[in-house]
Amino acid sequence: MSGQLLSANHAAAIGAALAGRANRTGRGFVSGVYPITPSTECMELLCNQEIEKGHVVRVESEHSAMAVCIGGAAGGARTFTTSSSNGLAFMAENVVAAALLRLPVVMVAANRTLGPPWNIWADHGDTLMLRDTGWIQMYCADNQEVLDTVLCAFRLAEDRRILLPALVCQEAFVLSHTMARTHVPTQDEVDRFLPPLDLPGRLVGTARIVGGLTVPQTTEVHRAQHHQAMGRFFEVYREVQDAFEAVFGRRPADPVVPYRADDADVLVVSMGTIGSTVERAVDVAREKGIRLGALRVRTFRPFPAELLAAAFRGRPRIAVIDRNVSLGFGGVLWGEARGLADPGAVVQGYMIGIGGGDVRPEHVLALAEDVASRQAAGAPVLMEAGA
Amino acid sequence: MSESVLATLEGTGGPAEPLLRPGNGNCGGCGMSTALQFLGRAREARSIELVIPASCAAVAVGPFPYSALGVPTILTTFGSAAAVATGLSHAARLNGEGTRVVCWAGDGGTYDIGMASLSGAAERNEDILYVCYDNEIYGNTGGQRSSATPHGAATSNTLRGKVEQKKDILGIMAAHRIPYAASVSLAHPEDAIRKMRRALDMKGFRFLHVLAPCPTGWKSEPALGIELVRLAVRSGLFPVVEVIDGRRTTINVEPDFAEEALELYLSLQRRFQKSEIDAAALRPAIDRHWRDLRARSGRIVPADREG
Amino acid sequence: MGVTETGRASIPEEIPLPLEVRVHGRGGQGGVTCAKLIATIYAEQGLHVQTFGDYGSERTGAPIRAFARVDTVPIRNHNKVYRPHHLVVLDAALLGDDVLDGAEPGAVVLLNTARGLEPFADRHGRFRFAAVDATAIARRHGIGTSAVVIINTTLAGAYARAMGLPWEAVERAFAVQGLARDLPAAREAWDAVVSRAADEGEAAPVRRAVPAPNVIGIAEHVEDLPNPLRTGSWRTQMPLYLSHAAPCNAGCPAGNDVVGFVQALATGGVEAAARVLFRTQPLPSVCGRVCPAPCMSACNRGAYDGAVHIRGLERWIGDHVDAEGVRPPRAANPRRVAVVGSGPAGLGAAFALASLGHDVEIFEGESCLGGVLRTGIPAYRLPEEVLDRDIGRILALGVTARTGTFLDAAAIADLAATRDAVIVAAGLQRLTGLEAPGVLLPGVLQGIRFLDDVKRGAAPRLAGHVVVAGGGNTAVDCARTALRLGAASVTIAYRRGRKEMPAIGPEVDEAVAEGVKLALHRQPVRVLGEGRVQSLELAEVELGEPDASGRRRPVVTGRTAAIPCDALLLALGQAADLSIVPALPNLFTAGDMATGDGTVTHALGSGRRAAARVLASLDGEPDPVLPRPDLDSLVAPAHVRFSHFHVEPPHAERHRIGAHALGFDEVNRGLDGPSEASRCFSCGACTHCDTCMLYCPEGVIHRVGQGYRVDEAFCKGCGMCVAECPRRAMAMVQEASAR
Repeated sequence: MSGQLLSANHAAAIGAALAGRANRTGRGFVSGVYPITPSTECMELLCNQEIEKGHVVRVESEHSAMAVCIGGAAGGARTFTTSSSNGLAFMAENVVAAALLRLPVVMVAANRTLGPPWNIWADHGDTLMLRDTGWIQMYCADNQEVLDTVLCAFRLAEDRRILLPALVCQEAFVLSHTMARTHVPTQDEVDRFLPPLDLPGRLVGTARIVGGLTVPQTTEVHRAQHHQAMGRFFEVYREVQDAFEAVFGRRPADPVVPYRADDADVLVVSMGTIGSTVERAVDVAREKGIRLGALRVRTFRPFPAELLAAAFRGRPRIAVIDRNVSLGFGGVLWGEARGLADPGAVVQGYMIGIGGGDVRPEHVLALAEDVASRQAAGAPVLMEAGA
Repeated sequence: MSESVLATLEGTGGPAEPLLRPGNGNCGGCGMSTALQFLGRAREARSIELVIPASCAAVAVGPFPYSALGVPTILTTFGSAAAVATGLSHAARLNGEGTRVVCWAGDGGTYDIGMASLSGAAERNEDILYVCYDNEIYGNTGGQRSSATPHGAATSNTLRGKVEQKKDILGIMAAHRIPYAASVSLAHPEDAIRKMRRALDMKGFRFLHVLAPCPTGWKSEPALGIELVRLAVRSGLFPVVEVIDGRRTTINVEPDFAEEALELYLSLQRRFQKSEIDAAALRPAIDRHWRDLRARSGRIVPADREG
Repeated sequence: MGVTETGRASIPEEIPLPLEVRVHGRGGQGGVTCAKLIATIYAEQGLHVQTFGDYGSERTGAPIRAFARVDTVPIRNHNKVYRPHHLVVLDAALLGDDVLDGAEPGAVVLLNTARGLEPFADRHGRFRFAAVDATAIARRHGIGTSAVVIINTTLAGAYARAMGLPWEAVERAFAVQGLARDLPAAREAWDAVVSRAADEGEAAPVRRAVPAPNVIGIAEHVEDLPNPLRTGSWRTQMPLYLSHAAPCNAGCPAGNDVVGFVQALATGGVEAAARVLFRTQPLPSVCGRVCPAPCMSACNRGAYDGAVHIRGLERWIGDHVDAEGVRPPRAANPRRVAVVGSGPAGLGAAFALASLGHDVEIFEGESCLGGVLRTGIPAYRLPEEVLDRDIGRILALGVTARTGTFLDAAAIADLAATRDAVIVAAGLQRLTGLEAPGVLLPGVLQGIRFLDDVKRGAAPRLAGHVVVAGGGNTAVDCARTALRLGAASVTIAYRRGRKEMPAIGPEVDEAVAEGVKLALHRQPVRVLGEGRVQSLELAEVELGEPDASGRRRPVVTGRTAAIPCDALLLALGQAADLSIVPALPNLFTAGDMATGDGTVTHALGSGRRAAARVLASLDGEPDPVLPRPDLDSLVAPAHVRFSHFHVEPPHAERHRIGAHALGFDEVNRGLDGPSEASRCFSCGACTHCDTCMLYCPEGVIHRVGQGYRVDEAFCKGCGMCVAECPRRAMAMVQEASAR
């Protein structure tokens, strides 16, 4: 297998740079970046790339990094940034703004525990905090997926049927700093995949307003339109998968990735790299004759409710793993997925790997065993993964 | 003196559509409105994009999809004007466009919540004209104190008058060593339009500070806004200066430091009533500031009193 | 407050409970506080209340709503009010379907309007109406600013009265809300509100369907769509372009349009200026030399950097205008008028009548026209050819001159019998003498005769010491003429000080520059000499208490000193000899005979007024009242935006001054050009300077032809244009509170 040994941070940066250059025949590429562990290496590499008709602006905060993207996008440029954890929290106001202004900004988040107390390790709580901001959210399980998803994210975000910002999530260190062989496409390939951005409402020439005040009845319609754009995602995504495959010769993963799920007695649902750990556990269980199966939720927003419901059909026991805690409630993914199962099915929530604890196959097997033993779902379980 | 004042303010750029159009939502007698009219005259046919953070100016444009502004405009979050403008300005530059990206921000969005992004953009010397229309109050939220509110002015959250001094924003911006920083008096249209035009045509980060009377917040007669600016300038309260590269300071209007100007300035605004602040109490700070200005301008003697 | 049911307390039975109140107003009027006050009034009666505002994005002047609910039980409804029992409308211009929406027949509508009930009750008879002019009341009480009058408290007073609530509840509510200082306005409204019962039996209004919004998507919005908001409806006052009286115009005894001719000179040149000037001024070259120029004393620029040199500009026009007098068309009903005397009053009257196409004959006892202008003003001040040119223009209008024709009272009476009217303007014939021993000595002369003799070439060569008694122009003229005739020294003895001298200031300065000495606070008390005057005893004069005119009365002291004196010229004033004027109905007097004001400009004005009186009298009309500006419409220095104007000291006239230049050639060579005209502020008269356009925050002032148009659809009435007008050529007028 060909490819370069890259961290996911670098894979993301290279993807962004390729996408940026691909818009040299359009209105160019603008990025605002600000360092935060563990996304720093992504912005560093981006800053050190030669990008024809592209500027990477080293700003003074994450809030401004997103603001630069907003300005760049409003000016018709392709835009990108990266951040993590508290950086995303600080950025949040402009994260909302980018979405509500319907600007196709692409952002890579290195999922990291929110602090203080400071903890730099993996946790999905940061991007899930931005769940309701109106962004597309996609979670990755390996370095190649990060690069590919970045390229897909631009095409999705910029599609006229969607016009929404997209967040590509990769976990702190587990992916961000882990080197793996990654196929890097050529510029020519990317040029063929990503057409130049032509934003219909960009700020140029005509005296018009971006972000003008809205009254309740206008806002109602705008939210409905935003919601409908989210709804068109899955249809557009299938086209993107086809196009991607045609150019690059590999097909990006589906919004929900099943693994030996069809006949599973127990289905384990998760996001991010835990999903690949679960797949290893499934293999172990299957060897023991236990019919374990897995679903990896790759697209979290829009939420693939129909895909999950279909995958849940006939499955009596479902364990949902969350690398996050919605404090006072439970795991976020569990909360959203539990209503999609068949009536009478047991959907049990497990929160594990909080604050970067290493989630191993034995943890998955243990929780699978737990759910198998249950006649009814109980309160979500907070499991300790330890180191 | 029958010559048209507008004729004297004309440049070579030719006429343009108005920047602030009729049908805007600003209060009658709003100084920011007049300032936008000035900028409209200064720009002539230059291509402009406006970046407006949360502020009265953002509300003035009216409800979506309408706009009372005659140029492409983006409304941003409160603290983001300079950073959004950065993105727009890079997009324009990448595409070889001569568009001037102009931030139009109030004092809250400049002195307070926007200070970090403003400072960042200034330090990076982004190609932006940043105009702070300073009405010395959070007007859009109903009149709370900002760090631009002057000592002694009552606001809705400093009922007995603000205790602290107003920030020296021009000094702060000049200290970034930006190519151009200037204060603009609406009562001195020639100087104001000249500065706006100069700032529009320069490259790099330019900062203009406009004292914008707010009849609602200052509790003054709407008709008297320009006169209040005139008094602020005459009394020395609002120095009209320009600073090139953070080093060369020029005093553009020499005040007469008249006591009666300062007293009149205070008495025409009910916001100064509660604190009972008087000219004598303000004078020492004004004098100190002017000593500094004179030292920085290299002119210890006032410009119009030299041989 | 606990969750308890209360009674109706003392509120009137007509008020339904639960009660819903909706307030409609404009931003800045205080609608939300109005609703809060209304709720507080009920709360003070022990009832449960709820009140809140419905906030929009717009500012001062934009429509807003506020609500109040009242009940005997705690209020759980948090919706807006859709079925109001009481509507309080802070601006009657808002009254339309939006405001009345949901109100049932019999609902009460309280309006703020200056127009009373009728205009509304006719259209909306199904409601009970109450009305009060809250804007006028609040404005009187100084609540708010002139542009934004806050009427909430005022209207709350009217509401309580209209609904039958007790005044004590209003007082308590105002105290609770910290608004007690507005109680007097509320009380005035309480007293002033009027109301009218609802008509019976009309159906409820049909509720309007809310149109479905056609909302453009955020991402699809690509068009330029100007905001359709018509902000003109926010306005309570409106700017007007309105001329005001300039102090120079008001101060000109001849009635000249000073601003008019100076501005015409500045913008249109000499011919344009002359057209304005010749409407009232037949003698511009003369007045441009000898007028004491009260216009300049009144000039608003005086306090700034020196009055505009109006006299010099008038002279420039008179000296440089090419136009010969053009004979006007004959009047429809031409009158035949004789004018006796050809001094400035006679000439002014003749000019005024001839300009209107009447037949005028001037009778002059001397051989040349001009009267005192010819005989009493030395040539170095007023050259003969200058006087001839001005008079020539008057004669060119068709005026007939009969010189060398002295008329006594009988001759005048004969004249009156054959003419439609006679105007006698014979000037001041009686000379004031000096009451002092020795005045009959040879060498003591009347100054005015002396000047006349000089002009006829009959004056004695003067030698030695000459003393002139007096302080007016004649005194100064005598002194300077005496110097020119060879006097070794000339002294003016005047009983008051330099400032009090009635002579034109610069003339005195020039006299001093030429060598004339001033003996101020001195009064001749004895003329001494053997056979002719040889010396003069001068007494010191002190200033005592002010007299009726406000001037301090001179008191002659016993301290005296003699000075050498070879000739004493008396310039102590003149008086009219009215014995030559018979009492006849068609006989009028003008000039110093009529007024005694003693200046050319007064005489001209008097002549012009006499002409007007003559014509009115012949037409059987009452005496015309010439318009005099009232003080309010005058442009005072406080109305002038001095900062609009660059400091630019007046241009000086060029003088040949000093002993080397003594002679009878004209001393003052006038201004060296008309550019002084550009210093004129043009008080009260629009110059199209565009300052209003520059400062209009809305950009809604547009140039139209020779003026401006304010776009009423958008003007918010802030008054900035009026406040910034450099010259008070505008005014704000209040709009009725119900448009």
